[in-house]
Amino acid sequence: MTFASFIAKNALRNKRRALLTVVSVAVSCGLLVTLLTLQRELTVPPESEAASLRVIVRNKVSLAQPLPAKQLSVVEKIPGVVAVSPFTYFGGNFREETVTSFAQFAVDPARFRDLIVEGKIADGSYDDFIKDRTSCFVGADTMKRYGLKIGDKMRFTGTIYPVDLDLKILAVFQGTVDDRGVFFHHKLLDELMGNPGTVGTWYLRVASADVANDVIARVDKAFENSSAEVRAETERAFQMGFISMLGNVKMLIGSISAVVVFTLVLVTVSTMSMAIRERFRELAVLKALGFKRTELFGFILAESFGLAALGALVGIGGSWAFWTLIDLQKLTNGFLLYFEVTPRIMATGATVAALLGIVSAIGPALAVARTSVVEGLKTLD
Amino acid sequence: MALPLRYNFRNVLVRWRTTVFTILGIAAVVAVFVLLRGMARGIERSSGNTGDPRNILVVRKGSQAESGSLVTGEQFRTLRYFDGIAKNERGEPVISAELVMIVSAPRRAGAGEANTLLRGVTAGGMELRPQVTLKEGRWFVPGKREVVVAQRLASRFAGFEIGGTIKAGPDRLTVVGHFDGTGSAFDSEAWMDADEARSIFDRDTYSSVLLRPRDEAALTNLVARIQADKRLSLRAEREVDYYSKQTMTAVPIKYLAGMLGVAMSIGAVFAAMNTMYASVAARTREIGTLRVLGFSRAAIVVCFLVEGSFLAMLGGILGSALAWGVYAFVVVRGINFGTMDFQSFAETVFQFRVTPDLMLLGVLFSVAIGLAGSLFPALRAARLPVISALRSL
Repeated sequence: MTFASFIAKNALRNKRRALLTVVSVAVSCGLLVTLLTLQRELTVPPESEAASLRVIVRNKVSLAQPLPAKQLSVVEKIPGVVAVSPFTYFGGNFREETVTSFAQFAVDPARFRDLIVEGKIADGSYDDFIKDRTSCFVGADTMKRYGLKIGDKMRFTGTIYPVDLDLKILAVFQGTVDDRGVFFHHKLLDELMGNPGTVGTWYLRVASADVANDVIARVDKAFENSSAEVRAETERAFQMGFISMLGNVKMLIGSISAVVVFTLVLVTVSTMSMAIRERFRELAVLKALGFKRTELFGFILAESFGLAALGALVGIGGSWAFWTLIDLQKLTNGFLLYFEVTPRIMATGATVAALLGIVSAIGPALAVARTSVVEGLKTLD
Repeated sequence: MALPLRYNFRNVLVRWRTTVFTILGIAAVVAVFVLLRGMARGIERSSGNTGDPRNILVVRKGSQAESGSLVTGEQFRTLRYFDGIAKNERGEPVISAELVMIVSAPRRAGAGEANTLLRGVTAGGMELRPQVTLKEGRWFVPGKREVVVAQRLASRFAGFEIGGTIKAGPDRLTVVGHFDGTGSAFDSEAWMDADEARSIFDRDTYSSVLLRPRDEAALTNLVARIQADKRLSLRAEREVDYYSKQTMTAVPIKYLAGMLGVAMSIGAVFAAMNTMYASVAARTREIGTLRVLGFSRAAIVVCFLVEGSFLAMLGGILGSALAWGVYAFVVVRGINFGTMDFQSFAETVFQFRVTPDLMLLGVLFSVAIGLAGSLFPALRAARLPVISALRSL
């Protein structure tokens, strides 16, 4: 019998216990990975290189306060600005839905074309979209989710604007970080609203990431002390701002993860000490046969490490498979778009499990080391 | 049925190490469960606790929150002369047209900005909300750029202390007082003069109208009349109903509590099972002895179930106490939590609440974990054949 098979036999001789331990470690590891992923998804927006090239300009008071449309001529002339379009969040409910499950924006289609860098036209034609004032430009995910095709109508009930929209799909895009949005003509919104002469935000593209900060400073400066002061920031900073509004969520998830890890430690430590206590007599026999303390510690460590590793493998692998295979958008009703279990998070989970295996071996190993052979042989259970 | 409970009790003490680990594990699970439920409860309470059942709130049809609603001056003037609105001593109708704006302000911790709700109220609006009382400083003077903020909100934002300034674009508002909204949604708001707010934000429309009908019958009539009026296209409902519908913010946290509760309890059940199986295996001979002494199989099952659920219950009590301790700490230190309200996009301030019924729920939850975890081990203990059990070492 080799050492390896000796350890494996020992670990599996109480199959029920081995299974329960592995499963409880797996559940906790899976939970930990899920929580860490949730935290990451809520705090780090999906990265896109183009996002650092795009700048969103909003009213300094808040996002809800509109900007005067006449600012366009000033923004356009700012050095470093390559393209600019009005960008107004409509916030309508699709069909009979009672929540806004994806965003709609009013844009200037001809200008907006230069702002979409990473996406491509998957279906229909962008020129048709530009020509027809009552048409819209829709993300592929939304098309798929509702089984829509080119030429279909989309009806929205306004929750912020007191108007309803009836839009014809003429083009479809794909390949952006969020393929859900619907874009339509700002002219149509202006008309329905009686030409108020306002826009929600300005969406602009800068020549390169290096000049982004200069452009932002210039835009802010251009409207300083005017009736509508603005705040310009990169798309990424804008998203981060939204996330910071979630408040204490990050801390909340962090502390829950800590509790999960704590519980995990308790479970494995107690299992390992039970497993070793049962075997005190045998370990004493091994000692009497001449095995050294370090060797006995090695046996115990290998066993607890092996069980923890197996649990981690099942838990982390299982949660990865689960979150990769399910249709998340359907499950969360559009609340979460991505739930990517990154290698980094999996590595964190695995590290926790490895430390766990080591920590839970220490207590029993010390007890074994401290017990003399005679005492050990006398132990009854 | 005679139960060897004394035996179980002493056993728990003898094997104290395993006992402590089991109890602590379950305590952690229960504490998380109770705290998360308490959080959802706190958010729900802040909106469920808002408003006066005698008031009607009117917003635009189709809008989900006051901040996204528009009521024109003309609509307001039409509403003002509707029949059935209560009159004050001066013979004026008790009605208030208000403006709700979102203003972004820097967080106190220096961690970026968040949106806050700024409400332009009239004298009538303050009479209609007796829930809100001045705590410190004074009320704003109409016609001045002064603002009174909720005490709880003030604890989360920089410059919201008395004498501080809130920037609204090029305009500055001076904070002159703090009010207490007694745990209602108003605890997440800042109030100023309605006309002044309209001039600052350059609005000729209002966001909502709050009014007090003469009596219950007039209330029903008014709601029906406003709803039916195609020309107005407004939605009227009881103020309390409007706010109790705004509890959507608590939904994600409730889901999280549910999901974690299930996942963590699965882990806890397995851990409890493990402990109980081990203690059954270690006590095979003792169980055999008990059977020889005349205790029935059923008695053995029951006493192991009692042992398991009792241990779990200790964990549950400890966990609930822990959750209550966190709650007490937060209350004493006056810490307020905030999250984004997905309907108004403004920060909702809340405090989580750990109530006796939640603690009881936590303990029941732990007993359920204990029972589930000790059922199979108990059955195994009862099924051991007496002779071989006695022979085993």
